[in-house]
Formats: sequence, C-alpha cells, structure tokens
Amino acid sequence: MADLLKLNVPGKPEYVGTVRMAASSLASGAGFDVEAIDDIKVAVSEACTNIVRHAHEGPDFVYDVSFEIEREKLTITVKDDGAGYNIEEYSEPVPGEIRESGLGLFIIKALMDEVDVQSEIGVGTHIRMTKYLQTGTA
Amino acid sequence: MALSINANNNAQAGLWEFRLVGEVDISNAHYFKKQLEAALSEKRQSITVDLSDLNYIDSTGLGVIIGAYGTAKKEGLSIKLLNPKDNVKKLLNISGLDKILC
Repeated sequence: MADLLKLNVPGKPEYVGTVRMAASSLASGAGFDVEAIDDIKVAVSEACTNIVRHAHEGPDFVYDVSFEIEREKLTITVKDDGAGYNIEEYSEPVPGEIRESGLGLFIIKALMDEVDVQSEIGVGTHIRMTKYLQTGTA
Repeated sequence: MALSINANNNAQAGLWEFRLVGEVDISNAHYFKKQLEAALSEKRQSITVDLSDLNYIDSTGLGVIIGAYGTAKKEGLSIKLLNPKDNVKKLLNISGLDKILC
C-alpha cells in the first residue's frame, strides 16, 4: 500500500522550487541515495516547468503533483488541465544537436526509470514518472 | 530560489568572468539571461562561467546558456563553463553541452 501525498500548485515559476524541495525531502525519507535524489528533484522540476511555461492559462491556474511512496519505488505524477500539445510533434534532441526546445522531457526520460507522457490539445498533460530504489549494492 | 551572479570584466584577459552561486531555475533564469546580454552589449568579449558554487540548474538555465552560446558564436566569441559539480555535470552531459562548453 503506497503512501500518497498530493499537492495543488499555483502555476507560477516561484512555486516550482517548493515542489522540488518536497520531492527532495520525500526521496530522502524513502531511502534514495544523493544522486537519485538529485535525479528526482530535476525530473519533477522539469515536469512542473513545462507546465508553467506551456500551459498558457490565466493567473489562477493550478496543477496537481502527486507522490506515491512505496517500499521499492517513488512514483510522481504531474498533471494539468492546460492547453496540452500534440505528442506526435515532439522530437527528442539527437546527439550533437544542441537545442533548447524539448530538452525538459528529454532530461526527465534520461533521469527516471519509467516515464509515461500523455497529452491532448485542449485537455491537458499528464506525466507519470517512477524511480526505483537500488537495492543489493554495498 | 536564491541565485547570486557575479560578473567581472577581466580587462587583462579580455574576458567576462561570471560566477553563479545558488540555483538557476524557471523563477530566476531570466535574470541570468539579462546579465549575460548586458555584459555582451557592454563589451563584446568571450565569457567564462564558474559553476563551482552552482547547486542546481534546470533546462531553463541550460536554455539561457544555449542562447548565449548562439549569440557569442555569431560574434566569433566563446562561452566556457568551469568547475561544474557532479549533478550539474550530469545535466550538461545529458544535454550535450559538455562537449562544446566544458
């Protein structure tokens, strides 16, 4: 049975750091090592940043972040009811190509063990990401 | 998140020497961008950015560096990132920036 923590976050840049601190605290408490905690902090921040930058909603816009804490993994879902986008049009940066757009999602996929992204124009975006606790190592 | 930026023009070396202290994210990346733009408009010289006290950077901050790199390159200038911590180094590696800026 997972412990579940839900945050309802104002869609403003200054609150992304608050979510990052919450993620860091939860990951630390769950037993992740320093590198994994950093990975989780960055991935969660990138998901929140994508929403704040691209959801194109008004000043009262909020989005949801939920943390599911289990014995062997931490799953984080970041969800908004914003503009959404066409996933088919997303292309990942290729090696040797330096570009800004699409970097956030690329970083999330590089740092987390499992990532599922769903988005629909006019409905919103949903990113679910999981990091597993590394066990059996010294 | 707290970010402190020191910008020093090293006249002898003909360089802008930046030092970032704290964290760069979506809440303050625009401030970093303005500082870089102001420096380049004051003196068109190459830039070094000391990252030894930078604890965190995200894609927004990396985007600022990519933008500045593009501007500098057009002017025949360079940007060099110095002394990144392991967590920052990891993101520079993922984004491919380490190959051109470190």
